[in-house]
Amino acid sequence: MSKGFTSSPRIALLAGAILLSFAGLAVRLVSLHVLDRDVLMKFVVKARRQIIVDNAKRGDIFDAQGRLLATSRTQVVLGVDPQVLRPEDETKWPELARLLGLPLPELRAILTTKTRKVEPRPLAVAGPAAIVLALGANPQEAVRPPAAALAKPEGPLVFNFKPAVPGDEAAVPAAEGGEADDTVLDESADANGYRLIQWAKLSDHVDEATNDKITALGIKGVYGARVFRRAYPHDGLAAHVIGYVNKGGEPATGMEAYADFYLRGRNGWREGERDGRGRELAQFRSREVPRADGYNVKLSLDSNVQSIIEDELAAIVAKYQPLKATIVVSDPRTGFILGLANYPSYNLSDYGKADLAAQRNIAVTDVYDPGSVFKIVAASGALEEHLVTPTSPTFDCSIDRIEYKGLVRRLPREDHDFQRLDVAEIIAHSSNRGAAQLAMALGDQKFYDYARAFGFGQQTGFPLGGEVGGWLKAPKDWDSMSITRMPMGQSVSVTVMQMHQAMGVIASGGLLLRPQIIREISDPSGEIIDHYERPAVVRRVISERTAQTMAQLLMGVASPEGTAPEAAIPNFQVAGKTGTTQKLVDGKYSDRHHVASFVGFFPASRPEIAISVIVDDADAHAPGGVAYGAKIAAPAFKHIGEQLIQYRDIKPVYEPGRSLLVTEGGRR
Amino acid sequence: MARDPFAETPRARFALHPANLIVVSAIALTLLGLSVLFSASASMRQDPYFYLHKQVIGVVLAGVLCFVTSRLNLDYARRYAWWIGGVFAGLLLLVLVPHLGIAVNGSRRWLGYGSARLQVSEFAKVGFVFCLAHYLAVNQTRIHELKRGFLYPMGLVVAFAGLIAKEPDLGTSALVVAVGMLMLFLAGVPWRYILTALLFVILAFGLVVYLIPNRLHRLLAFLDVEGNKQGGTYQLYQGLLGFAAGGVNGAGLGQGRQQLNFLPEAQTDYIFAVIGEELGLWFTLGVVALFATIFIAGLLHLRRAPNLFQFLLVAGSLLLICLQAIINLGVVTGVFPTKGMSLPFISAGLSNLLLMGLLLGVILNSQRTWGRATLPAGTRTLREVVA
Repeated sequence: MSKGFTSSPRIALLAGAILLSFAGLAVRLVSLHVLDRDVLMKFVVKARRQIIVDNAKRGDIFDAQGRLLATSRTQVVLGVDPQVLRPEDETKWPELARLLGLPLPELRAILTTKTRKVEPRPLAVAGPAAIVLALGANPQEAVRPPAAALAKPEGPLVFNFKPAVPGDEAAVPAAEGGEADDTVLDESADANGYRLIQWAKLSDHVDEATNDKITALGIKGVYGARVFRRAYPHDGLAAHVIGYVNKGGEPATGMEAYADFYLRGRNGWREGERDGRGRELAQFRSREVPRADGYNVKLSLDSNVQSIIEDELAAIVAKYQPLKATIVVSDPRTGFILGLANYPSYNLSDYGKADLAAQRNIAVTDVYDPGSVFKIVAASGALEEHLVTPTSPTFDCSIDRIEYKGLVRRLPREDHDFQRLDVAEIIAHSSNRGAAQLAMALGDQKFYDYARAFGFGQQTGFPLGGEVGGWLKAPKDWDSMSITRMPMGQSVSVTVMQMHQAMGVIASGGLLLRPQIIREISDPSGEIIDHYERPAVVRRVISERTAQTMAQLLMGVASPEGTAPEAAIPNFQVAGKTGTTQKLVDGKYSDRHHVASFVGFFPASRPEIAISVIVDDADAHAPGGVAYGAKIAAPAFKHIGEQLIQYRDIKPVYEPGRSLLVTEGGRR
Repeated sequence: MARDPFAETPRARFALHPANLIVVSAIALTLLGLSVLFSASASMRQDPYFYLHKQVIGVVLAGVLCFVTSRLNLDYARRYAWWIGGVFAGLLLLVLVPHLGIAVNGSRRWLGYGSARLQVSEFAKVGFVFCLAHYLAVNQTRIHELKRGFLYPMGLVVAFAGLIAKEPDLGTSALVVAVGMLMLFLAGVPWRYILTALLFVILAFGLVVYLIPNRLHRLLAFLDVEGNKQGGTYQLYQGLLGFAAGGVNGAGLGQGRQQLNFLPEAQTDYIFAVIGEELGLWFTLGVVALFATIFIAGLLHLRRAPNLFQFLLVAGSLLLICLQAIINLGVVTGVFPTKGMSLPFISAGLSNLLLMGLLLGVILNSQRTWGRATLPAGTRTLREVVA
């Protein structure tokens, strides 16, 4: 049997061609697997590798009673994959629109937009287009398609850092760079340069309950990712103390900024690979650092106290329409702040709408002339130096000039006509001339030293809100009027916090205490990391005895004979000092613009609460056109005090018939 | 008369017979296909065994088909050659009927019910080869005539290719043209006809390209894989990355990532890229070597073909397997334009497996009948001249 038809050169030719093809394939394989590997692997790594950040939950801020002041809530950033929507789900769209609070046409527009035009890039290789031209086809047709090779910035970038949704990237396909919004587009485009939209945002603040309802609707393709969002359950309460975290996740002010180190926590991350749709491949995870949630911070601030003073502040504002006003409440024994309220204030939950002026914690950022409250410095100094006793000697407060250090100095005016007054009366009646003579008795340097010792001219150390140190001139810078004006609280500038702290010296028995606000720091499991109970003593300013004496003298202010009987709380020893400062307007002290203040504490012999009420420029609506501290601030002090007595269960001090004043009186 | 070395040494016939080599190679490819397919599809469905189950069923069916085909008396079937050709042509027409043919991704290629469906063109290819082999064998003395030797058989080629192109399935259509012309070439059609036909094919190709410019772009996009990776060649690009990721040693079975939504259709047309990533250079070279082995063994086997019909039938079957493999491997490695074509024995798909079973059956059938080396006498007046 001949095999003629099988041994022709033709079959040899065919065999050669086919075997050559196989050999060519083998060569190509070697080139792909080995020779071009490094070049191609760059793209492989770029496409696969990713780092997923696991956002830490920011710690909570609690008040002294454990009530939440600031917390982080999960919200859902909800979006849609328009490619997988089913026609049968269309009946559910109106319900979805209602739940999202979106108008239906708007929602429909998002749901039905399936592609987005992307700008084409010129062909990388001219080959195909040139060939088409040669064949006479429409060149437009040929040039257009590769459009898809688009806009994505090419570079050595290996990691895909950009989260799919700002703040989180767990569930949603990773967004590619270069997109202005959060919309995620497909890798490839069609012939006309349209890329498929894989994920379009519907809402970035869906709460869990609404999200559950939306999930229950069961619309295929509608899904989202959870993110942490800062929430302030009490909105504006203690806004200046708590502060807020801005949209970028950066703490802006208040405790959020100060305690950020504790609150922030540490984001975790996972380095690994993703599949072609951007989903993480857990089996190829290479490194993993778990997240550490932030620590919780517990404040000394009591939200009940805070709301009491904020209500009071609101009442003052409503009644007198001042420029500014501040109320500070603290425990004078320890210096812990119980409440701090400023007007103007703002809503933490809506901080974007608050102007910067309202965001300032004016209790520490703004200064004012403290006025008569400052008389406690000269009086305390004179008592401490044993220059005077409460009842002797007496100073002639009817004179309007006095010689001091060889110069005749003019004494300031008095509101009432006084004759000779002792220290107790100078304080009780708030005599300007008496205060000046007390300071003169101390002398320039001593008086200045006491003012410094009381904390004026330096920061209190209150951690929040960009504190300023006020302004206290050293004796070498004094003019001839300084020794007469400074004792009555002119020509000095103090912050509310400084004044509050200075009054605290008397309440605490002579110690200057740094105002504190953080009580406790605990980790997410509740274990206490750090806690603060003890008073932070800056220095001893006056002796305990002098402090007690001063407290007795300050009780006289709230007595029927004092300047501020309005501050008196029945059965409680209220110690305090009024201040009515003329404001500097155009370089002169004005008769029509005042800062009204009352700074005090109670019970005087065993202080538990210190309250400062400072109201700036309430004259226009004040009775008689002048905003006296006694009329504007003292009633607020009393009102707050009464509520705090109930709330904090403060017991009156039993007074056995005689006052300390009487026993002390005769001896010096 | 040349001595047949295999006919008289039983041991050699058992072990080294070319047909056995072909079978062994085919089984090796199938087993490799099953393991890689499992890995490639494990991540794609909720049920990781989804494709494996289907493929195993396909392999069993293909085995049965192979066995049955190998037992058929194909010479007897030649009586009905035109019937067979007619039936397949009819089926190809049926596919085109809108509600009968099942369209997937815009191509109407399948007949069947539910998920059980077959790609008719795959089997039409075998029918076509059978018919053409029959015709050429019958007309071998007049092979130099323009009409009988060239135009008529070319008509057959064009008819089948045209019907398949209509689906549209240009890849298979091109394969049919290529195999058809090669059979003509082997049957002894004069060079001048062959070259003329080749010219026509090139012109027709140019015409198609002219009419559908987008197709040209798709065809040529492989020249600039990176530039076009967002568009037409995304799949190809991801395939190439698979080979690079595999390197020499491969990532390991089940460790491939390209099939995880990077590489579309990783379980079918682009499964070779998965082999490349998971098993590396030695296995991809091995696949090429196995196909080359099938081809070489096929050639050795052909030397013993008892007559021109058997020769052309086996040669056509062999070419169907090898050309399809070459096209698929070429496409996946980026040396040919992107064309959907499955990798014989390996790609997932019932039609592919059954076709391979059928072709293998035809080859084995020849082995069985060639040993007897005689045609049943008196059943047919053969016009072929055994020189």
